[in-house]
Amino acid sequence: MARSWRDPSEATLARVLLAPAFLLLGLIVVYPVGRLLWTSLYELSLTSGLPRRFIGLENYLSLLDDPVFADALVNTLLIVVITVPGAMLAGLGLALVANLPFRVKWPVRLSLLLPWALPLAFAGTISAWFFQSEYGVVNDVLSLVRTQRIIWVNSPNLAFGAVCATIIWKASSFVGLILLAGLQTIPGELYEAAQMDGASRLRQFWSVTLPLLRPSIAVAVIFRTITALQTFDIPATMTRGGPGSATTTLAMMIHQTTVDFLDLGYGSALAVVLFLISMAFSAIYLRQVRAA
Amino acid sequence: MITIRRTSLLLAAGFALAAGMAQAETLTVFVSPQQRPDVMRLAFDRFEAAHPGTKVAIQTGGTTSELQGAYLNTVMSAKDTTLDVFMLDIIRPAQFAAANWTVPLNDQVGDVGALMKRYLPAYAEADMVEGKLTALPGFADVMLLYYRKDLLEKYGQKVPTTWAELQASAKIIQAGEKNPELQGLSFQAAAIEGTVCTFLLPYWSQGKNLVQDGRLTWDRDAALKSFALWTDMVASGVAPRNSAEIATETTRKDFQAGKAAFAVLWSYGWSQFQGPESAVKDKVGVAVLPAVTGGQTASCIGGWQWGVSAYSTHKAESIALIRFMSSPEISKFLAVQASLMPVFPEVYEDKDVLAAVPFFGSVLPVVNSAHARPVTPRYNEVSDIIRTQTNAVLAGAATAADAATQMEARLRRVLK
Repeated sequence: MARSWRDPSEATLARVLLAPAFLLLGLIVVYPVGRLLWTSLYELSLTSGLPRRFIGLENYLSLLDDPVFADALVNTLLIVVITVPGAMLAGLGLALVANLPFRVKWPVRLSLLLPWALPLAFAGTISAWFFQSEYGVVNDVLSLVRTQRIIWVNSPNLAFGAVCATIIWKASSFVGLILLAGLQTIPGELYEAAQMDGASRLRQFWSVTLPLLRPSIAVAVIFRTITALQTFDIPATMTRGGPGSATTTLAMMIHQTTVDFLDLGYGSALAVVLFLISMAFSAIYLRQVRAA
Repeated sequence: MITIRRTSLLLAAGFALAAGMAQAETLTVFVSPQQRPDVMRLAFDRFEAAHPGTKVAIQTGGTTSELQGAYLNTVMSAKDTTLDVFMLDIIRPAQFAAANWTVPLNDQVGDVGALMKRYLPAYAEADMVEGKLTALPGFADVMLLYYRKDLLEKYGQKVPTTWAELQASAKIIQAGEKNPELQGLSFQAAAIEGTVCTFLLPYWSQGKNLVQDGRLTWDRDAALKSFALWTDMVASGVAPRNSAEIATETTRKDFQAGKAAFAVLWSYGWSQFQGPESAVKDKVGVAVLPAVTGGQTASCIGGWQWGVSAYSTHKAESIALIRFMSSPEISKFLAVQASLMPVFPEVYEDKDVLAAVPFFGSVLPVVNSAHARPVTPRYNEVSDIIRTQTNAVLAGAATAADAATQMEARLRRVLK
């Protein structure tokens, strides 16, 4: 029996039905990433007045002796190393508190949600005022124990610490929400059984809560790490990357190179580097999750 | 006969009106909140009255020059047609000319040479990029020394002509007032555009130039002296310890609240200090910026230019608009209404202008001797290098020697 277009084979039908999804993925993932890779091989700067020129890997080679790139790379990795565990611990604490059997649950849930719902740039701007040396509330509180006001932006370490503290505060509520969802899937009987076996609260947490929470923790760590790698808004609004380049991140450098300096070739090379780092982190975590 | 003529006249008028209505075009103009959109609106109303059929809509955003620059970069690199006209900071025409983002005006203004001769030389120069007339001057600006007349008088101090004199007078005033809140001098060292001028003021005052004909003419000694001048102001307690936090508006607010004896600030401060919310109304003097000891006075030139977008779909009307806005009449209007500095020398002598802003009578020599920041299409990079290093030195995060080395190495990468 000859098949007409009205009666395609199953394989053809599958291809036809999948085509829109592939087309969409191609359009929003493959094309931009491919274009980015391609642009990174060109000298393309809108301020030069010159047409673009193929230069191979030269953009990547100039990264090696760019002092700001070195600073931005180290700062970005440090932010991951400090704020991911920081936000996990703070988030776990928040989740455990929110999971307590309150009679009225919504105020607790709402206060957990609020920092998460706040736009990042708002959080950064608010925090910039918190840490402002003259009018900031942080120095106001500290003035109870010390006489000299701390000028946060005058020290690379203090400025970096203030940025990390803000990121942890902002991110902990998101982590808290994911972990709270995880906590609620743990059946109550397990705790009853553990109690009968004479396990202390700490022991229950260690042997029941933590192991069962592992998948949620893995998800939270992956999401947090990827967003920490892309840190932009909070340091951009709090310190503008200063003093010097003490709080400049890779994402800020990409933005500055492309939007302010209009050096699209070099900016693309920077973006490719950040993309590869993100991919590497994701691959490691995905393997961990699969193994678990 | 008469009736026929009248009828035909009426008909002609009717046609003209209909044609005008059919062509009713709206020009979108980008004016930032810094550039007094309220007053610009009044000037645009005059243009609309003179050009029936053309409407002008204001688009506003970005409170600092950097934010406006970033916004325009985004719009223009997307070849967006929605903007017709924009105001450019004096540091940008070179970049916009290199990127071909403005309509070259050489063939649109008649005799270019004769037209440009009418403007203050600094603006004629800034807007003519390698023979290409890129924009037309809108209003001028310059960095000035603001001082408290009452405090200087109280302690018998003269208006300082060198930074050392300023430092000495400030110390006397601070010691006498016994007010820990009172700063001797407020200047900008946050990582903002104005901080480029902060670094360059003493550098220029030593008779040095940073860039000549697009090439770096670096003088390490002059750079170190410039850093030393400012760090010493902080170390001696004349300038606040948090100077690395201070942006243009911080200086303006502190001086306006009576919290500083001296301030280095653009001309826009004047009208604010005379405003109803000012604690220093009628107590403010304006002078030429001090020089380094043995050097000459040097100021930093600012100001805003009108450009027509290369992607505008209403180029003819847009050019008419910027020619209107860049005229002696509007220059006078902006001076009287908003104390924005004129770009035509004769307007500084206008009676109405002097009645509104008395200090304009003595400011023209300052404008004429003020220096321009480096002229290069890659100005944004140059600016970033200078301001981050200056900020780091004032924050105490880098030594002056390290910062000077970094600054030179990085400027050489950009300016070749």
